[in-house]
Amino acid sequence: MQNKFSFHQSSVSLEIIGLPDYSNNENKDQISIISQWKLTIVDKPLIEGKIEHLGPIMDAFYIYSNLLIKNEIPIYESKLIDIKAENLHIHNIVLKSSKPNVNPLVLKIGNSLLSDTINCFDQLNESPKVRIKKTDIHTKVTKKLRFGLNKKIKFFNFFIPPFIAICSLILISSSFIYFNSPIENIEKKELKNP
Amino acid sequence: MRKSYVNNNIKVNEFDALIKITVEMSKYLYPYIREILKSKEDIKENSIIWNDFNKRFIELIKERFNVDSMRVKKLLNHAENGEIIIKSLLILSFCISNQGYQKLKNFLYDF
Repeated sequence: MQNKFSFHQSSVSLEIIGLPDYSNNENKDQISIISQWKLTIVDKPLIEGKIEHLGPIMDAFYIYSNLLIKNEIPIYESKLIDIKAENLHIHNIVLKSSKPNVNPLVLKIGNSLLSDTINCFDQLNESPKVRIKKTDIHTKVTKKLRFGLNKKIKFFNFFIPPFIAICSLILISSSFIYFNSPIENIEKKELKNP
Repeated sequence: MRKSYVNNNIKVNEFDALIKITVEMSKYLYPYIREILKSKEDIKENSIIWNDFNKRFIELIKERFNVDSMRVKKLLNHAENGEIIIKSLLILSFCISNQGYQKLKNFLYDF
């Protein structure tokens, strides 16, 4: 008996069909071995593919959405899928078939459908019932960012206190120049040693 | 950028709390965010929603922000604010999952 889970977000739904990994003592209502997946976008052709294609397609959408927001050139190209921005509101998706003599599937989706698709993938990633090879794009970004921020904080924590200390030392010591009178000192010395 | 003479820096826990509130609000408002994004996709047929949203956005900016600031002026300019609004709405729409808090934090550091 195969299990089937569906993830819906407004106009997009993702269906995952597969089996639990009994060798790993998993519950019978889980999916670890995916046998089929279908991505349905309203008014667009059905997208389905091999099991190994799901991960790269999800990665492509995540990377593309990150590029779109980070003001970088929003283009993602791979052997399996190309995503390019026509403008800020429309995105062209080209899904290339691994079979020979099959024309690529071209889709045009707007921002609303793009966010629905990303949210469907998020639901799949967060589902405890389906175990897939998790895309580490977001966690990687987080670590990098955290590292960047820590680095900045550490840099300032490390250099600012000694810098302030040296500056204050120079300022205080320079004020002693006004108390120092070399002529008086010479006179005193002459008085001591006539 | 805000109309305030007090220049207090936000604390880390306050920043985190604001992100959590924003994520929860975007989950609740996702259908509206989606409709605004959709209306901009086909502006000729569906311009009412976008125009209403933009009008209210500008009203709120004028009410609460320092309009003498160059960055705020950019937000008020119809020709320039479209991209900023679309990207902000996209960020909110991408962050409605359970991990939305972490995603929004990442996006904000990069924005």
